[in-house]
Amino acid sequence: MNLNIKADKAQTYDAIVIGSGMTGGWAAKELTEKGLNVLVLERGYELKHVADYKNAMKDPWEFPHRGRITNVAAEEHYATMFFSAKEGSQYLFANDKENPYIQKRPFNWIRAYHTGGKSLLWGKHTYRWNPQDFLANAKEGIGIDWPIRYEDLVPWYTYVEKFVGVSGQAEGLAVLPDSYFLPPMAMTAPEVHLKKSVAQKLNRPITIGRVAHLTKAMPQHLAVGRTDCQFRNRCTRGCPYGGYFSSLAATLPAARNTNRLTMVHNAIVKEILYDDKAQKAKGVRVIDQNTLEVREFYAKLIFLNAGTVGSTSILMNSKSSRFPNGMGNDSEQLGRNLMDHHLAIGARADVEGFENDYYFGARPGSLYIPRFRNWGTDKRSYLRGFGYQGGASRADWSRGAAETGFGADFKTRMTQPGPWKFSLTGFGEVLSNPNNRFYLSETETDKWGLPQLVFDADFGENERAMRKDIMNDAAEMLEAAGFKNVTPYDNPVAHMGLGIHEMGTARMGRDPKTSVLNKYNQVHACKNVFVTDGSGMTSSSNVNPSLTYMALTARAASYAVAQLKARNL
Amino acid sequence: MNRRDALTRAAWLLGGTLSAPTLQAMNRWEQLVSNGRTSHQTNSFLTETQREIVARTAELIIPRTDTPGAIDAGVPAFIDLMLRDCYKKPVQDAFLTGLSDLERKNFLTLTPDQQTALLKQVEAEAQTSSSPTYWLLTKELTLLGYFTSEPGIKASFDYQPIPGKFVPIKIKPGQKDFMYGNQV
Ligand SMILES: Cc1cc2nc3c(=O)[nH]c(=O)nc-3n(C[C@H](O)[C@H](O)[C@H](O)COP(=O)(O)OP(=O)(O)OC[C@H]3O[C@@H](n4cnc5c(N)ncnc54)[C@H](O)[C@@H]3O)c2cc1C
Ligand code: SF4
Repeated sequence: MNLNIKADKAQTYDAIVIGSGMTGGWAAKELTEKGLNVLVLERGYELKHVADYKNAMKDPWEFPHRGRITNVAAEEHYATMFFSAKEGSQYLFANDKENPYIQKRPFNWIRAYHTGGKSLLWGKHTYRWNPQDFLANAKEGIGIDWPIRYEDLVPWYTYVEKFVGVSGQAEGLAVLPDSYFLPPMAMTAPEVHLKKSVAQKLNRPITIGRVAHLTKAMPQHLAVGRTDCQFRNRCTRGCPYGGYFSSLAATLPAARNTNRLTMVHNAIVKEILYDDKAQKAKGVRVIDQNTLEVREFYAKLIFLNAGTVGSTSILMNSKSSRFPNGMGNDSEQLGRNLMDHHLAIGARADVEGFENDYYFGARPGSLYIPRFRNWGTDKRSYLRGFGYQGGASRADWSRGAAETGFGADFKTRMTQPGPWKFSLTGFGEVLSNPNNRFYLSETETDKWGLPQLVFDADFGENERAMRKDIMNDAAEMLEAAGFKNVTPYDNPVAHMGLGIHEMGTARMGRDPKTSVLNKYNQVHACKNVFVTDGSGMTSSSNVNPSLTYMALTARAASYAVAQLKARNL
Repeated sequence: MNRRDALTRAAWLLGGTLSAPTLQAMNRWEQLVSNGRTSHQTNSFLTETQREIVARTAELIIPRTDTPGAIDAGVPAFIDLMLRDCYKKPVQDAFLTGLSDLERKNFLTLTPDQQTALLKQVEAEAQTSSSPTYWLLTKELTLLGYFTSEPGIKASFDYQPIPGKFVPIKIKPGQKDFMYGNQV
């Protein structure tokens, strides 16, 4: 008896954060800095910043397959093959074969199971949502209204941006609010030309991509050991300089500096434990991913940051007499309204006339073309909009594969920079739809005995109508610049999940009858549980979402600590 | 998502683009690469003779000049490894078919000029093929193997593993292309 109490005490913290990725890192940082003793539970293996980036400094010839996808890797990484099966970054992606899921309709679930989660893999494009993004659902009668507005997030955006380090150019655009910026990366000559032509002929602004890279490290970055980006563009192997933002390089070290952080790895959170008497959560039950040993940890406050699908499925697995269908699922919305962004669509072109222009360095970023459809006076047959990422670069030796000729002259030619190419890829908004969902399988489990997830989601009419514009507008802009052989493309196999921005399956809202979380990302019906990753998103905007997840997390953490201190939790 | 789009996507995420011909070539292969099963888990994919033909072909594509050639850079062994580990049966078979064709034509006993002439013919035929051929595979893998090898990179390019900055510049006459550590 006595022993048990002691054991319980040893496993008791002020707060538990589930997941150590993009948002878990922020929860850990904010909660520890505000004085709480925090336990971070991470299902994956421990990855140490710098020491464990085993491929970061390798030269091209050190990879036996020169980075290409092997048959074995393709089999093990089916969802993520095109990124993850690459030799340099494979170890940072979850193995799909070992972590299976069911696709009722095609869905790619791309995961990173280790310290830092997907914050080690992201493309680092970092944009604020605009005020309209928070109003569109209500105006257009889609899904439900957001319980917050842009203004609620403004101070949190700024707060987060300063710590993250976002390089970019202030433009004063309503559609793409400016962030707190580090110096922008440069544009190449054809990119500058596109920007001018599109501004003149189509009146659309183009800016340099806003990316979470330290173009000039500030004291707050240096303080956690991060330094300037070296323009090597080897980011998906991990960055020893901390040149890009990840929880591993930035928020977790900040949390560790408080001496109030405990981390446990290989800890798969199975469920959140509900205390019927107290009517709140009391802790979590965890399965060790290697030994299968089951343990419990206790806390007053729980932050769920396991990635949208991960967090929502933990809520689904958290069944009790109060919550027979999963924690916080009174609205039956848990797992529904799964959104993503659509992509694999755009246009390419050949560029002539900049033969003497080149660039030095490997830029880990691209251009950004903000949304212009259904904006201002523009009105389309579909709702919402899209933006583009892309850019110009000179072809390298690999162009030779499709050219005729071989021998000494050919060899020499391949050592010269090739012709310029331009490419634009669209990112479009996906509407909230209750029939786009995932749920727990009743028959299939994984090797830890947890139910496999069944994905059942697809693009709808609105998305399909939008895709036509995404493709044609990209071509129109490349043509406006006078580029040659403009080739629009739309990949018919593009489907949900490939946008790698899954969100919305435990949405925020004012009414507990139609939403899972309130305006502070707090489970309506279980106040000491906060879900602050993409699960809470009520609509998807068309810009990359992670900055907004981080701002919501910092905001929720601040609120939670205040509530805790006021003894309301 | 097919390999072409997969790689395009990877490329733009990383801020780059792939050339249209490369994309075309990848697309053509994709269909075949995707529906076949793995085979040949033995150590060497090719027989001694086959490897010699591959080596000779690779060396004619990237010959030794004042800089190292394909053989100096270990390309034949690289092609063997890649065929075994990265391609599936239909593509491997297409490769072997083209190879035995050269074998039948006694490729190895021909003079260098005759070999070049024969490969020009093979190349012309490959242009009209909608599926991978011995020629396309060998050429692509020779370029990859050579221009990402240590001797190939150091002899051919201005190698900058840690550029430290990104700046638009003007090209100087005869300037070598830059090569960065992100090439694979
Ligand atoms: C290739 C790629 C490119 C991207 N590019 C961009 C971009 O340019 N801009 C952008 O805004 N976003 C981008 N994203 C998306 C971005 O990575 C995610 O939005 C972000 O990482 C989500 O943060 P998160 O905290 O919700 O999840 P993650 O960062 O994935 O972290 C979740 C963590 O929880 C852990 N976990 C999961 N389940 C459990 C469990 N049961 N118990 C314990 N721990 C668990 C995981 O192991 C992981 O460490 C990209 C994603 C990918 C894959
Ligand atoms: S490009 Fe910058 S952020 Fe990316 S790996 Fe290199 S130094 Fe790190």
